[in-house]
Amino acid sequence: MKVRLSELHACFQGVIPSMLATCSASGEPNVTSLSHVYLVDDGHVALSCQFFNKTRRNIAENPYATVIVYDPLKFEGYKLGLRFVRSETSGPLFDTMSLRIDAIASHTGMAGVFKLISSDVFEVQTCRRIEGFLLPAEIADVPPKASVPGPLTELRGLQVVSQRIAQAKDLDGLLASTLEALDELLGFQHSMVLVNDDCTERLVAIASRGYGPGSIGAEVAMGHGLIGKAAERRRLIKLTGLGTELRYGRAIRERHVECGESERLAPEVPLAGLADAQAQLALPLVCGERLVGVLAVESRDPLCFDDWDEAFLQIVASQIAVALDRMQEDDEEEPENEAELAPAAAPQRVRNFVFYRNDDCVFVDGEYLVRNIPGKILWKLLSRRAIAGQREFTNRELRLDPALGLPPLKDNLESRLILLRKRLAEKCPEVRLVPVRRGRFALELDCAVELSEKDCG
Amino acid sequence: MPAISEELARFLQSGISVLTGTRDAHNVPDATRGIGVRVEVGGDEATVFLPQATSETAQANLRDNGQIAVCFSRAMDHRSMQVKGELVELRPADERDRTFMERYREELAEEWGFVGLPPTVTYRMNTWPAVAVRFRVTAVFVQTPGPGAGAPLAAQAGS
Repeated sequence: MKVRLSELHACFQGVIPSMLATCSASGEPNVTSLSHVYLVDDGHVALSCQFFNKTRRNIAENPYATVIVYDPLKFEGYKLGLRFVRSETSGPLFDTMSLRIDAIASHTGMAGVFKLISSDVFEVQTCRRIEGFLLPAEIADVPPKASVPGPLTELRGLQVVSQRIAQAKDLDGLLASTLEALDELLGFQHSMVLVNDDCTERLVAIASRGYGPGSIGAEVAMGHGLIGKAAERRRLIKLTGLGTELRYGRAIRERHVECGESERLAPEVPLAGLADAQAQLALPLVCGERLVGVLAVESRDPLCFDDWDEAFLQIVASQIAVALDRMQEDDEEEPENEAELAPAAAPQRVRNFVFYRNDDCVFVDGEYLVRNIPGKILWKLLSRRAIAGQREFTNRELRLDPALGLPPLKDNLESRLILLRKRLAEKCPEVRLVPVRRGRFALELDCAVELSEKDCG
Repeated sequence: MPAISEELARFLQSGISVLTGTRDAHNVPDATRGIGVRVEVGGDEATVFLPQATSETAQANLRDNGQIAVCFSRAMDHRSMQVKGELVELRPADERDRTFMERYREELAEEWGFVGLPPTVTYRMNTWPAVAVRFRVTAVFVQTPGPGAGAPLAAQAGS
């Protein structure tokens, strides 16, 4: 049965490996499995060339190839008769295919070792379902799609998400309500927002949903793994069939080790979120020319994200980026009524804070709490409280303190305070930063605090 | 020394993906999924089983020129080998072969289960009636992705 390529969208998600047959000019057939076939348009597919091998030589001699792809939901097989057209080593197709491979390479510690050599484009001359490949299905055998897709549902969801972004009073509320809406209205149960710290070239998670509190403060180096790559290239990256892709990457890694090339490899980067994620989507949050962070969404369903999801998540990402940027600018509001702070309750527990001077790192009772600029901010607040009894602080005075090392423009202060607030809530709930009004917050203590400074090492 | 060692035979017969490549008189290649392989004659020949329903082109190609390539790939770690050969005999599969193919499908279902494909799906693969394609092994190549992919087995250090 003839079918149109565009009807086979799910076959090109890389969930079930495909099969490729080629033939040399002398008539020797060659067959291999392929981790991914890319759909270019309704008449073309592309295969990724990462190694110069027999397949590549055969294609140079004889342009014909046959590919079998599988539908990951129904397991139907489709046979595509191909004719080689061209190899691309730059351009949008190459970039898209390369980004995906770079992300896998980065995750498996093979950045720069395992990379795309070319995108080989083939004309699809025939496309047929393989009749008789499967026995007739029991209806129950075919897993239903997890959710009912459709622009109407998602447009409504998008409308609600946009409203929440527009109405948010502070950054923390904005991120929490956005991720909540993505979950409740659109079914993305696992998501996080990481902000870009220009000072350290790292991305830090300041909001998450579906991971538990330990995920706040998780860091990803720029250019590392899926999230770091999306940030570095400022492009959306989608990885589906992640289990298959990572197994493929690890196989290549093993071969490097067996061939005595292990010195070129770096350690594998743990996935930032779910250990058993099957699909990940990382969207750069860009405002104007500036990267402000990354929205990362993932799922245990390898086919969770379709093109429509990408489209509307990009709209959501743009809105988050603008809001994130705007809210970093907020300075202190004029006070309405200067309310007297209630005197603090008598402290009971003693918490011991240590500031390690040479790496700007704060530990509480021997446990890591926070570092870098949020660490220096916390140390300033606790020290001012201990020395001068100061209870309230303004964003403005933090910005004016050169010792904190905030960059002069776009300092991400709000994001840094959110991270600090959440790390405290998790590791030391007796110390809280409570907003008083926009641009001003109080340091509340339900414990006695001991401070000491050390050099580590 | 046989073309396929005992250790390699165990791997090839261990319930992993069997992909068969053939070509026609004009060198146009075809791909067909095989349902298991039996290593024969101490490792110099092998028989791959192809379902009748999906292998018409492969059978016509084999009758035309006898050239065959079979790729073996383990889903768990992508360990892959490719065996090249020339047709010795093409015949309908018999009941003994059928038992062999059904056991292969059970092992494949278990193997694919580890990487997330439900066994109920694997069991839907149509296997019968089938043909048995016996071929003489002419070369074996390492096909695991990475450096050295496509090299002859003998050239691989430690293989």
